[in-house]
Amino acid sequence: MSSPAIYTQTFSSLMGTDTVAEATRRMLDDRVSDLPVIDASGRFLGMFKLDRLYQILLPKAALIGYGVPDLAFVSDTLGDLRDKMREIEHRVVREFIVEPDHVVHTDTPPLELVRLLHEGINNIPVVDRDTGRLVGMASGRDLLLALRVEGD
Amino acid sequence: MHGEPAQAASVIFGLSPLWVATSLFVLTYVVIMSDRLNRAIVALLGAGTLILAGVLSQHEAMAAVDFNTLGLLLGMMLIVNITRRSGLFQFVAIWSAKKVGASPWGILLMMSIVTAVFSAFLDNVTTVLLTVPVTLLITDELKVKPYPYLFAQIFASNIGGTATLIGDPPNIMIGSATGLTFNDFGMHLTPIIIVVMVATMIPLYFLWGRHLSATDENRRHVMGFNESETITDPRLLKQSLTVIALVIAGFMLQRQIKIEPATIAIFGASVLLLVDNFGRDAETQSKNVHAALSEAEWITLMFFLGLFVLVYGIQKAGLIDMMAQGLLTATGGDFNVTALAILWASAVLSAFIDNIPFVATMIPLIKAMGPAFGGENALLPMWWALSLGACLGGNGTLIGASANLVVAGLAERAGTSFRFMEYLKVAFPLMLISIVLSHVYLYYRYL
Repeated sequence: MSSPAIYTQTFSSLMGTDTVAEATRRMLDDRVSDLPVIDASGRFLGMFKLDRLYQILLPKAALIGYGVPDLAFVSDTLGDLRDKMREIEHRVVREFIVEPDHVVHTDTPPLELVRLLHEGINNIPVVDRDTGRLVGMASGRDLLLALRVEGD
Repeated sequence: MHGEPAQAASVIFGLSPLWVATSLFVLTYVVIMSDRLNRAIVALLGAGTLILAGVLSQHEAMAAVDFNTLGLLLGMMLIVNITRRSGLFQFVAIWSAKKVGASPWGILLMMSIVTAVFSAFLDNVTTVLLTVPVTLLITDELKVKPYPYLFAQIFASNIGGTATLIGDPPNIMIGSATGLTFNDFGMHLTPIIIVVMVATMIPLYFLWGRHLSATDENRRHVMGFNESETITDPRLLKQSLTVIALVIAGFMLQRQIKIEPATIAIFGASVLLLVDNFGRDAETQSKNVHAALSEAEWITLMFFLGLFVLVYGIQKAGLIDMMAQGLLTATGGDFNVTALAILWASAVLSAFIDNIPFVATMIPLIKAMGPAFGGENALLPMWWALSLGACLGGNGTLIGASANLVVAGLAERAGTSFRFMEYLKVAFPLMLISIVLSHVYLYYRYL
């Protein structure tokens, strides 16, 4: 990327060995719906996404399509969902990470980043091409900040 | 059915039409079995090549297509696609699970019965696509392993489909080729199918059923399902039920009203499309009709189309007559031995190869044996043998029927694996039991 300011180097991340409980607490604190996951050497492993949690809370039958178009007839309560959550919160986030749709690199041209943001992809990991280390996160906010003319 | 035979162009390179048609037919079979190319592509290519090679003229090829079979399949597909939106099928599945107090074995039994009954009136693949997700939801709530339930549903879909004219494509083809009606299938096949269904459930109880258990808490979850919430469109539900009842009444009165099943099914589908769209704006109508039509199984329909042409190709070239003679020689011309040979061969072959091309080939072959056995009317037991063998044989292996693979695929996506050998070890002996029962039934009732 030609301008280093187009992504933030100050970002929250999770270690693959963090628990789901720790991850959800961090998501609440940081008010985000996904967080990057790294290993001890800083290498990018994937994303821990709120959407993955939804999948865990849903019955598998609802995820295979066709036969169960809605779940309005299922009587599970909030308490049942909490029970399901308790069953997984001690497990490590490594088990639940997903490959992000896109990653960008430090040398990705700005226009390509704008295209990805235009497609609705936000919070994009910026990975060093050589080392695989996570060096930043790019979002619409970072782009707006980078677009500001100096002195504004 | 084939009309005035038109003169085909001369066969390419002066080759024998028998050799060209046979080679193409065998090649098509091999490629279909290899699963490397979509079966509709293979069948249409094979049919087109027959015409290009000069074995058949286009007129002959078109006349060879059994539009009664295609129309019946398409009509029923449309009716199911529209009805599905009402939530009817989920309603019945959940209602039946609650009727047995959400007991694990009771649910296995009820879901199997529901699957068998749906399969008797709908395409097997559609049936399992509608019922398996509900089963997975219930087993998830009960915290029991879904494998026994899904296994039983595979069997139920293939067994139930054998019971009626419209339950399984082989029956549709047999009915269309012979003029046997919905009632004929019901009277001759439903009794043995009920016996086979019961006989299948008994070993499943001893193998898995008696070990299934769920806590009261988990059973309460299932009992808490509100099935009335599954009905998403009550107006459509009433319309669909009315049309389905009228279509089935039409099938049952087919002989009296002298209307072919394809007309009944297509007319029923058209009426359902009409009432579903009446009073709606043009854009919504367009969207609804497009959805119903695009969800039809066009691959299956095009596969059938190509297959009819291919089979007529080998029939015209003389291969079917040669095969019929060969079968008669092998069975010593004995009627009983021939009928039972058809049953067993159909069952074992259908466990490993697609039963649709097999039945498409067997129909003219059995017809060709008519003169040897005193005319077409005498062939009735052969048709039942073919139907029972081809439909029930599909249970024998995981690749024996499309519904088996669909269930395995859905299970895989939900985290339950279906392995070929693991399935075969239980399924093949169970399938053989169903064929032994069919053998006894055919022998005592018809032979």
